[in-house]
Amino acid sequence: MTFFEVVFYAFSTLMVVAALGVVSARNPVHSVLFLVLTFFAGSAIWLLLEAEFLAITLVLVYVGAVMVLFLFVVMMLDINITRMREGLMRYAPFGIAIAILLIVQMIMVVGPENFGLQAFAAPELHGADYSNTKELGRVLYTDYVYAFELASVILLVAIVAAITLTMRRRPNTRHQIPGEQMKVMKQDRLRIVNMKSETIDSEDK
Amino acid sequence: MLENYIPVLIFICVGLFVGVAMIALGGFILAPSKPDEVKNSPYECGFSAFEDARLKFDVRFYLVAILFIIFDLEIAFLFPWAIVLEDVGLFGILAMGIFLGILVIGFIYEWKKGALEWE
Amino acid sequence: MEWLLSLTPDFILEFALEFWGWLPMWLQVLAENMLYIVMIMVPLMLCVAYVTYAERKIIGYMQVRLGPNRVGPKGWLQPIADAVKLMFKEVIIPTNSNKFLFLFAPILTLGPALAAWAVIPFFDGVQLSNLNAGLLYILALTSMGVYGVIIAGWSSNSKYAILGALRSAAQVVAYEIAMGFALVGVLMAAGSLNLGDIIARQAGGFTSWFWLPLFPLLAVYFISGVAETNRAPFDVAEGESEIVAGFHVDYSGMAFAVFFLAEYANIILIAALTSLMFFGGWMSPFGSMADHALLGDGTHWFILKTMFFIYMFLWFRATFPRYRYDQIMRLGWKVFIPVTIVWIFVEAVMVVMQWGPWAVETVAAVGGA
Repeated sequence: MTFFEVVFYAFSTLMVVAALGVVSARNPVHSVLFLVLTFFAGSAIWLLLEAEFLAITLVLVYVGAVMVLFLFVVMMLDINITRMREGLMRYAPFGIAIAILLIVQMIMVVGPENFGLQAFAAPELHGADYSNTKELGRVLYTDYVYAFELASVILLVAIVAAITLTMRRRPNTRHQIPGEQMKVMKQDRLRIVNMKSETIDSEDK
Repeated sequence: MLENYIPVLIFICVGLFVGVAMIALGGFILAPSKPDEVKNSPYECGFSAFEDARLKFDVRFYLVAILFIIFDLEIAFLFPWAIVLEDVGLFGILAMGIFLGILVIGFIYEWKKGALEWE
Repeated sequence: MEWLLSLTPDFILEFALEFWGWLPMWLQVLAENMLYIVMIMVPLMLCVAYVTYAERKIIGYMQVRLGPNRVGPKGWLQPIADAVKLMFKEVIIPTNSNKFLFLFAPILTLGPALAAWAVIPFFDGVQLSNLNAGLLYILALTSMGVYGVIIAGWSSNSKYAILGALRSAAQVVAYEIAMGFALVGVLMAAGSLNLGDIIARQAGGFTSWFWLPLFPLLAVYFISGVAETNRAPFDVAEGESEIVAGFHVDYSGMAFAVFFLAEYANIILIAALTSLMFFGGWMSPFGSMADHALLGDGTHWFILKTMFFIYMFLWFRATFPRYRYDQIMRLGWKVFIPVTIVWIFVEAVMVVMQWGPWAVETVAAVGGA
């Protein structure tokens, strides 16, 4: 077994263990952190496949951005864990049945003959001066430019969807408009009234 | 290429180990540990905490996080483009111009909708 | 080193060599890398300690105070005393907190701040690992920083901590985008993600560094860096006068010290990256004109430039009042992102049309050097 095979098995084991942790952890925040670990292990495996750019982008986009959103949602949603666990045993047989069905389907559709070295040749090892990102860029913006432009349309749809789903103007919330506050002049707020001075004993009576 | 990542892997492990070692050494071996109820209560300017601090918060934070993901993806697309710019030339600029142009429409949309306002 | 070798008796040297050869391959690699890592880490830790001292001293002088001057000559031992004190302080774990995450958060903050140094070039070829995707690696690691803050805020289960964490997360996220866009400009100018290549492209002295053609991006990058590290004037995540200390209000002793270390390690990292990407790293400002050892290229230039940017961080803190939260968000989303997008386009046209600093003869001359 070569050194990189050891690394591969180490990270695959880590990935499987972390993925099991995602579904079995009691605390949802722990689940999210296990998912982060899963992505890390996945990134390491992509690196072993010489996909340098994709591996680091996986960490950048999924760990650095998507999981932050997950963490936000999970932390602040006030999930009542005990109530959610109540139905667990009742639904367990049903869940297991569906899982087995899915696994059987996947094996039938994908099948083991589509994997392994005879189906996919191992990527050749490149020298230290090989830039995976450059190679990717050379084809992405020329040969695959159509798919690249489509990606921007998908992102545009995502922007619009996110805004229409989450932008709620609640009319009764109170908020400050600091810009307006700063613009207030003395004349707007302060009125100087000329009046006669009053003596104390006139008030007493 | 892979051999370049071996030191990086070791460095990440060392970086995490340093944190663990410092907290273990300083927090649990050298330092005293005399907890009491008042000391261990969460800090709340002298009041005792009367409810769970984990609050539901404005949906706006989720919106910021979603927009962040989208822009992060844009950056991921810009990186390879930036380093092959001299190779792909004018065609590359046009391709990226359309890509960014479509996304600038989205950016203008969120600006006009007030998604970037902070109240 | 040489004189040390000549002093040692031959049989010890021979034994050492034989012992080295006898070690298994992986242990050799591990030992070699560990040696380099220690060589980076120990000066870095010392730097962190003395940046805290410099901060208190410099801001002290700016405010016509003396700063720390009791421990050791002129207060030089102050950071050591601070470290020793924190080591012997109890780490208080609040009752309602999530204990594991509470202790894990500072570790998660420090780890990436240190690991990013793996790809920093100190001189031509002097770096731990010459990654081809070096800059991408650094960006990925800095995007991890937000986890420590969020988890710290949530796990301490204190209102101030949660407010600090939320503020910080939304802010860091906004400035990370501006930072990423600014980096794209650097990549276009350099045509590579490799930090060594980025410096090599800036050869030729003060005027050929990237700060000149990329000036708007430099401003965006550095200010985003200040915001990213939650430093004044963008320190609403800590905001002593509003939410006491923000996300780390419940931390004490060594757990707090680790957060503190991570913050300063990040400051040094941002300063070092600014000097690498916009100011030519270890290049001498006099270009090839200077052949004197001190005026020529060398690590000392890198250290000097980095120190200058660290000084800028401290200077900002002493000068500017804290930004309001809505101003911070407006600056990040509505000013920096449009500025960078426009400049990326201007630069792209310049690069492809080979105008200005990217004219064929300049690039050829610099690239050949």
